[in-house]
Amino acid sequence: MSENKYSVLNTRVHNVDGHAKVTGRATYTFDVTLPGMLYGKILRSPHPHAKILKIDYSEALKFPGVIAVVTGKEDTLGVRQGIWRRYKDLCDEAILTVDKVRYIGEPVAAVAAVTEEIAEQALDLINVEYEVLPFVDDPMEAIKKEAPLIHEGFERNVNVTRQISWGDVEEAFEEADYIREDWFKLGGQHHMCMETRAAVASYTPDGKLTVYTSTQSAYYHQALLAGVLGLREGNIRVIAPYVGGGFGGKFELDGAQFCASILSMKCCKPVKVIFSREEDFIASKRRTPMYYYVRTGVKKDGTFCAREAKVFTNGGAYTGMGATALYLTGFFHSFPYRWKAYRYDGYRVYTNSLPSTSMRGFGAPQAMFCSEQQIEWIANDLGLDPIEMRRKNGHYEGYEVPGQATIASCGLDQCLTKIQEWVKSKGKLPKNRAIGISAAGFMSGGIFNWFDSPYSFSSAVITINYDGTVELHVGAQEIGQGSSTTLAMICAEALGVKLEDVKVHMGDTDHSPADLGAWGSRQTLMAGNATKMAAEDAKRQLLEFANAKLGFNIIYDLDIKQGWVYNVARPERGMSYYDLCKEALRGKEGQRIIGRGFYTPRRKGMISPAYSYMVQGLDVEIDPETGYIKIHESVTAHDCGQPINTLGLIGQLEGAASMAIGFGYYEYLPVEDGKIMNPNLVDYKLIRAPEMPSCQVIEIDTYEPEGPYGAKEAGEGLTNPHAAALGNAIFYATGLQMKEAPIRAEAIAKAWKEKQQQKKNEKKK
Amino acid sequence: MEKKLLRFTVNEVPYEIYINPKTLLVEAIRDHVGLTGTKRGCETVSCGACTVMVDGMAIKGCSVLAMQVEGKKVTTVEGLEKNGKLDPIQTAFLDEGAFQCGFCTSGMLMSAKAFLNETPKPKDEMEIRRAMEGNLCRCTGYNAIIRAIDAVAKGKYGQDKREGKR
Amino acid sequence: MSVICPVCKKVKKNPVDCARHMFGTGDKPHRAWFEAQGLSFIDLLLDQATQPGNKSYELVGGYVEKAQKDIK
Repeated sequence: MSENKYSVLNTRVHNVDGHAKVTGRATYTFDVTLPGMLYGKILRSPHPHAKILKIDYSEALKFPGVIAVVTGKEDTLGVRQGIWRRYKDLCDEAILTVDKVRYIGEPVAAVAAVTEEIAEQALDLINVEYEVLPFVDDPMEAIKKEAPLIHEGFERNVNVTRQISWGDVEEAFEEADYIREDWFKLGGQHHMCMETRAAVASYTPDGKLTVYTSTQSAYYHQALLAGVLGLREGNIRVIAPYVGGGFGGKFELDGAQFCASILSMKCCKPVKVIFSREEDFIASKRRTPMYYYVRTGVKKDGTFCAREAKVFTNGGAYTGMGATALYLTGFFHSFPYRWKAYRYDGYRVYTNSLPSTSMRGFGAPQAMFCSEQQIEWIANDLGLDPIEMRRKNGHYEGYEVPGQATIASCGLDQCLTKIQEWVKSKGKLPKNRAIGISAAGFMSGGIFNWFDSPYSFSSAVITINYDGTVELHVGAQEIGQGSSTTLAMICAEALGVKLEDVKVHMGDTDHSPADLGAWGSRQTLMAGNATKMAAEDAKRQLLEFANAKLGFNIIYDLDIKQGWVYNVARPERGMSYYDLCKEALRGKEGQRIIGRGFYTPRRKGMISPAYSYMVQGLDVEIDPETGYIKIHESVTAHDCGQPINTLGLIGQLEGAASMAIGFGYYEYLPVEDGKIMNPNLVDYKLIRAPEMPSCQVIEIDTYEPEGPYGAKEAGEGLTNPHAAALGNAIFYATGLQMKEAPIRAEAIAKAWKEKQQQKKNEKKK
Repeated sequence: MEKKLLRFTVNEVPYEIYINPKTLLVEAIRDHVGLTGTKRGCETVSCGACTVMVDGMAIKGCSVLAMQVEGKKVTTVEGLEKNGKLDPIQTAFLDEGAFQCGFCTSGMLMSAKAFLNETPKPKDEMEIRRAMEGNLCRCTGYNAIIRAIDAVAKGKYGQDKREGKR
Repeated sequence: MSVICPVCKKVKKNPVDCARHMFGTGDKPHRAWFEAQGLSFIDLLLDQATQPGNKSYELVGGYVEKAQKDIK
């Protein structure tokens, strides 16, 4: 393990929000109360597809304690919005719908009342006349000629198509000695944030709106609300108090924010809308379910030649972030290997069910489940070592994914070696127990600006007080992933102060610079770069005063570390940073030093400025007759460039594992006739403490030139491999090839039974 | 429904509140006593975010009516610290990074505290894991929480070692 | 048996391979050929992606075979 050359980075520190969170002082939108606040409840469509003919809420208005009722038609501008603002035809969701409902649970009306109970009772008094329309809840049905049209102008309900390709696939298949094709089905998954969707909106007679909300991007919500409410962005203030989880589900405009705002605008009183857990399941978006057809051609020595994939995704009723998931799944399906030729055709299909959106991994868990299992089966079919086959075809530093990306740092080879060593060390495992592995990787923020933001992707402003404390203003949103601590550490390292000198301010559009927010694993790299730039700007200004004060020979330069300003060649010579701040303030006529930083990726390919790499191994025991599994051990070899927040990194990787294992095994989300069958925590299974395996992480040392101090993403990439690793373990333990995720216990038991029956029949012959 | 008087102690402070008898304990704590550290994450007694201690026993605050704690001693997360000094379990959570978004943390701390009170020397890690089975966490994958509890059980924080700036 | 793509005249190993190629390019001229045969490109593509077995390719391969006699 290389010695840590940094004084703050990669050390175990207390999370900057820690005291608030462990003492119950952290307030979430869930906890926010404002004077005179009302409670809002949403009336939701019971039909998957219907026209709204009439809404009569006269009885509800008469109910004592009801202050306001709103509908899409009467109280909104009817703006169809979407997060892909640049592409108007993908802005298809009014949220509080005006004329038509397209999924069970879609908001139809909303009530504000003096208590939650009254608001809920008032919902029953709203009479909605629907003209029920035929519905389709599966892409296979939705794409048929006779299928009901869900959105005007989208023939066959095909909402977005994407192709990613390079090379001549047909020619490359000709060169292959062995070709294999498989069909896969990937289920949805729910974000299941501990804090449900929540918003408190307060509109005041001066035309200003303040919205407290559980969000991954205060700026996105400010801009989106401005678009749908007809207000100036600057007249909307979005405040994110502590946020109880996001995982990709909280940066689109949702029913809580929109309905609370509309209600508040109607009665000029604060309105709080909190989703119940059931509401959160049925009416906030989910991971995109997909159908995958994969055909892969390799040479007999295992060299990858060609791959083609045809993918249909279940988009649900609206576009949202689902368009990005369609793109990323296609890219990461090639990852992390070099293909002579590759072709991905993706189709996103509207259906009358819960809209599909981004969720940690963003299409890559689905892609890896198919790719990494098929690769394992191919290695098996050909009698090749699966790790060596991966190594032979893996990305390396400097590799260019044709037309898509340049890989500037890559620890894949070392990751494979570490896992290979671990597998060897395990020796022979008992019956019904095996190791499955999967490679994976992920982006460190996207280069795309489909949001059409005019701002730098990330910005940071640093001001230094008289006493040396540092105010770090960023737009990067803390949602539990530790970004505030990580950025404070980068600031402390770059400026040369102690971590406890730094205060992080974010989550308030009145005080934070705009930032695209916490999604796509962008904040460490992008907000980190902005923070480092701001800190270095401030340091440079401080050092001007230090140079003047200390008067060293011109050949000497100065730096600051842990509050000590020093001559780099003679570190014992210098002065206290805290004294320097006092002098610098006086020198600047009482003005604080201000440092600015910002970052926008340019000319970095089609996806991301940097990629993480990892190889995941799972030691799994399977009871093939019941399908129950026990994960004995999880080992990850991981390349995130330079680790910054040590405790945060461990936590993010273990958390990613729990969510990934959920995608692979536990979290079945069945939808029948457009209805989610298990919208509660009894029937929707999350992994719990006794089932979670210990997770060993081996960090591989690389340096990413585009990232702050060489850092890149950690915590989302690791959501990608576990489902495939689990599938591969099941394959080696039982011989079964499981092509549907989550791999349900029932499916394992059924497949095992069928296999035994087949064996019996063959014996008879 | 006519409101009823409830007298109970929360964090060693006596309270007297008038509430609708249907009020759940977690609602009484949050909305009537005004302590919002205790959270709520579901309607099916499944997630444990509302865990508090009643006479030392870990109870999901959504699974009992407030009236059922008449005369009893309730401890919430706010009651763990004493005069500005953190309980060892709180310090352990800080040292291990045993929280991320923090929404489940209050419940986790109360379940952990109740468990350690009953079982100061757990026989193995699985015993700790089983004790925490009723508390869901979406962020951490549980392991850091288990490490924190284990550290307290192993005596890393001494009997009364409390940390705080006072 | 070697065939010629009725749209772009590429030589393909066999009718099913030609069908693969036609689905693969998915460009306007190839899709137009599907329409002309009374076939739905998107329906067949969806079938191909979601149903194990290559029924769509084989079906289209049949049409490609029939079209050979008209190719100059």
